[in-house]
Amino acid sequence: MSLVPAGRDLRLDFFRGLSLWFIFLDHVPSNAMAWLTVRNYGFSDASEIFVFISGYTAAFVYGRVMNERGFVVGAARILKRAWQIYVAFVFLFVFYVAEISYLATRFQNPLYTEETGFFEFLQKPEVILIEALKLRFLPANVDVLPLYIVLMTFFPLVLWPLLRWPNITLACSVAFYTLARVLDWNISLYPYDRHWFFNPFCWQLLFVIGGWCALGGVTQIEKFLKSRTVLVLSILFLLYAAALQLSWLIPGVTRKLPTWALVLPLNKSDLSLFRLFHFLALANIIIRFMPMDAAFLRSNLAKPLLLCGQNSLEIFCLSVFLSFSAHFFITEVSARLPVQMLVSFIGICIMVAVAALMTWYRDIDRRGGKPPPSSPKNLGEQIA
Amino acid sequence: MSIRCAAVALWLLAGLLPGAAENCSVSHELVATFAPLPHVHDDVVKNKKLNILVVSAAPTQVGAAAGLKSYPSFMETALKERLKNTEVSVFAFSVPRKPIDDVVAALPPLLKERKPDLVIWQTGTVEAIRAMDPDVYGEKLMAGVELIQAAKSDVILMNQQYSPRTDFMFDGAPYTDNMRYVAQARDIALFNRYEIMKYWAETGVFDLSGMRNDGLYEKLHKCLGGLLSDFIVRAGSLPGSLEQ
Repeated sequence: MSLVPAGRDLRLDFFRGLSLWFIFLDHVPSNAMAWLTVRNYGFSDASEIFVFISGYTAAFVYGRVMNERGFVVGAARILKRAWQIYVAFVFLFVFYVAEISYLATRFQNPLYTEETGFFEFLQKPEVILIEALKLRFLPANVDVLPLYIVLMTFFPLVLWPLLRWPNITLACSVAFYTLARVLDWNISLYPYDRHWFFNPFCWQLLFVIGGWCALGGVTQIEKFLKSRTVLVLSILFLLYAAALQLSWLIPGVTRKLPTWALVLPLNKSDLSLFRLFHFLALANIIIRFMPMDAAFLRSNLAKPLLLCGQNSLEIFCLSVFLSFSAHFFITEVSARLPVQMLVSFIGICIMVAVAALMTWYRDIDRRGGKPPPSSPKNLGEQIA
Repeated sequence: MSIRCAAVALWLLAGLLPGAAENCSVSHELVATFAPLPHVHDDVVKNKKLNILVVSAAPTQVGAAAGLKSYPSFMETALKERLKNTEVSVFAFSVPRKPIDDVVAALPPLLKERKPDLVIWQTGTVEAIRAMDPDVYGEKLMAGVELIQAAKSDVILMNQQYSPRTDFMFDGAPYTDNMRYVAQARDIALFNRYEIMKYWAETGVFDLSGMRNDGLYEKLHKCLGGLLSDFIVRAGSLPGSLEQ
């Protein structure tokens, strides 16, 4: 299996793979293994990694298409991808509705009368299905997909100016984010007064920052990023975030802190600036200490993560499905710690195995298809 | 190597077996108290009275739960045992399945009428189900706590319970986070019901995944009531406290 298209930054695949593992572990409810994930040691979590890298790869891959073959072809490719993500969302929604419908008819433990209020949603199945198709009824844990759909659908309109005037486009994105935060923009959901968990008006900023970096933005500020001041500030900020996040969970520890230092809880829906800067600080340090040509990235140890990162859409959907299954297993069989560990480990093994299978399929498709078989461009597009 | 494999296998097997004995004690950190209960302390010590109000949005006495005893009454019994010579009264109030706005609206007349020393506020589930904006939730919670404190009552916040069957449908963590913040800002206690029940599930004390009425309700609520009464006695530095 060839994992290395020429010129591709393997760190992207590596960390996207890692974010998918984290998303899986975090999505199994009450999973003790979620302690291994980044969210416990700082402000940002796997969502930021996933959205940033998605923006980066989308701009990198479709930017080239748009430059070489024009706006229409580039936009068509992007919209095709958005459609694939929409189909994946509907697919996962079916599993989700099946599981809650099963529970709704059989779950009669008086201990949980309050929780079963959730099944009110099922009283009008026709409404739920239509609202879901309109992306106005979103199951928990799947909500990064609708964000991805919206970001990709409007990406042609962002990519075109991003290729010409990257800084102005980024400034517009920042302005849009600011307006959304100030004026409380979000997309409403059915029913009640609910809103999208990942507010697309806010999260677009991270996606555009990713795209801006991919199209050369980083080189403009490279000197700044590599300065000692930025390094020291980043490390201090990360340490502060880790200390606060960890001590926050232990009652009593943060009681003595002054209110200005106690910035938790942070608003994830609107991409709080603390989360954004935490992610950027983390990314800056990783890029600094893990060069693009690090030998580690080509070793066998990194391979499972690269495989997952290169098949991100499929593996994300699989991870949501696996987290449902893992949760089912934990509640049916045992909730005890060793079981949680075993189930988490098996889930990750399945993700890697399926990713390897997808890559293998792509390999045979390429060999059986038309030349040029080893064109890195084609491969790049498939894994955007 | 084979010994290690066998040990791992045994350990996994032990994880699958149900817990041997039912013991509601939890690890110490889970029920550690940091905020005092001055009004509770004063009323018990000076007037030999303890008046507690439990506020929630739980539809407790409906359907299969009708007629079952819940943690407020178990807590009352336990407190009466611990605090001899003290007149203990517990009143449970609920606005079933209504979000926090309705609970806060119901507070002023309720506080005026009951004049509690302590309000135990069980909250966060309905809001999680409805995916209410956690920031808005935090603001309302803060407003409610300020109302209660202005009425010269102590407050204990209680978060959602651990419900393994339904916890993939909605996420209570952002609401518990807001409770943590309000608890710190207003110097009040948070009784972490979620972590306590999760501890019981993970150590095999209770199997919380039952689909039907398996008699768990009263057993679990008895444990919660016992823990809460102990929590109040310790936080309020009351005469029955072992730490005294």
